Amino acid sequence: MSHSVLDRFEQTIVPLLDDAYTLARHLLRDEHDAQDVVQEAYLRAWRYFGGFHGGDERAWLLTIVRNCSYTWRRKGPAEHVPYDDEAHSADAPARNGADARAIDDSERQRLTSALDRLPAEFREALVLREIEGLSYHDIARVTGVPVGTVMSRLARARERMRRLLKRTA
Amino acid sequence: MPAFCQTARDSLSAYVDGELPPDRAAEIADHLTTCPACSAEYQALLETVAALRSQLTRFTAPDVLRARIRAAVAATPSESVAAEQIRPSARNDRRRLTRALGVAAAVFVGAALGAGGTLVAAGGGRNAAPVASEVLASHVRSLIPDHLTDVRSSDQHNVKPWFNGRLDYSPTVLRFDDQGYPLIGGRVDYVGGRPVAVVVYGRRQHMINVFSWPTGSGDAPVATRTVNGYNMISWRHGGSERWVVSDLNAAELRSFAALLQRADSVSS
Repeated sequence: MSHSVLDRFEQTIVPLLDDAYTLARHLLRDEHDAQDVVQEAYLRAWRYFGGFHGGDERAWLLTIVRNCSYTWRRKGPAEHVPYDDEAHSADAPARNGADARAIDDSERQRLTSALDRLPAEFREALVLREIEGLSYHDIARVTGVPVGTVMSRLARARERMRRLLKRTA
Repeated sequence: MPAFCQTARDSLSAYVDGELPPDRAAEIADHLTTCPACSAEYQALLETVAALRSQLTRFTAPDVLRARIRAAVAATPSESVAAEQIRPSARNDRRRLTRALGVAAAVFVGAALGAGGTLVAAGGGRNAAPVASEVLASHVRSLIPDHLTDVRSSDQHNVKPWFNGRLDYSPTVLRFDDQGYPLIGGRVDYVGGRPVAVVVYGRRQHMINVFSWPTGSGDAPVATRTVNGYNMISWRHGGSERWVVSDLNAAELRSFAALLQRADSVSS
């Protein structure tokens, strides 16, 4: 029986690792913190997995990752970790020589640094919606706020991104 | 701005996501066909959203993280899943997790010790079993968060000097990046009551711990064994004993050990 629980975990939760890591990276803005937090979140997910009966696994896992990230941040030395160009470029896609690709990369960096300047509640809403593709209902579950709040946070977050991008363009 | 435009602007974001109730969405759609200002606003929003979706970074988890998680989950007894259902009020305390892992490691070590009889048979040497158990225990401990490496670097010129002053011998630290075994780092661990050097390499999502320490015993040929899904390869050469441990498949681990042995025979 225990074996089938592990199999189920391997088949449903482990494949979501990139999603989990992406959320943690954007919330914590630090590669090593994100790795530690995701590992902790996975162990917590594993411990609670026996009590998880269906529903959306991704929303469930991302809820745990988000909570672990904020717990970690609260324990951490600094509330605002400065954006680390070096750490980000470490996993940025490898450049090839093509001009189009170079433009892509600078656009990507501009967006990433604009995102990093948003308050956490806006940043998480954007990451969950634009990268993870969650519905408002699932974002509300993950972040623990009503759907109406998700709606207004997303609207404001997009508006701020638009202004930030206009300013840096 | 007309009152309707003001409320329409507030709804555009949810309209883009298809998250408005149908009647409200129909109102907005209607309005956009007749109001150039709101329509321009909508276009700009669409562009912002398109840029965000195509350009925001989707990260790929490092292989080492994947391996750490797999190993830690596998090492945590499945009873904890059942126990959690009985005690859903368990507090979110990080140290508890670590402790749980520690217990898991201890259980695992116990299992390894229990398997000592087969280790002796497989290992040949009279003292092979206790060493194998300790090496395996160390490998499993290394999978606990923050226990893998004390010095984390892919540069052997950082890892090798780090051992100076921590050990009274200098372990071999090599680069096999070109062969697909990147150097991850090193740590000092305890085996057989003495500090030993552990150099850590990676292979896809797997980690390989290489233990080495000086020995007074003569050379011994390569011995391989498999315990609880971990492959172990050991040998003695030129006054040092080495143990290579990983959950990597036996064939690839043998190729890796062969690389190390080749380097050993060149240096001695």
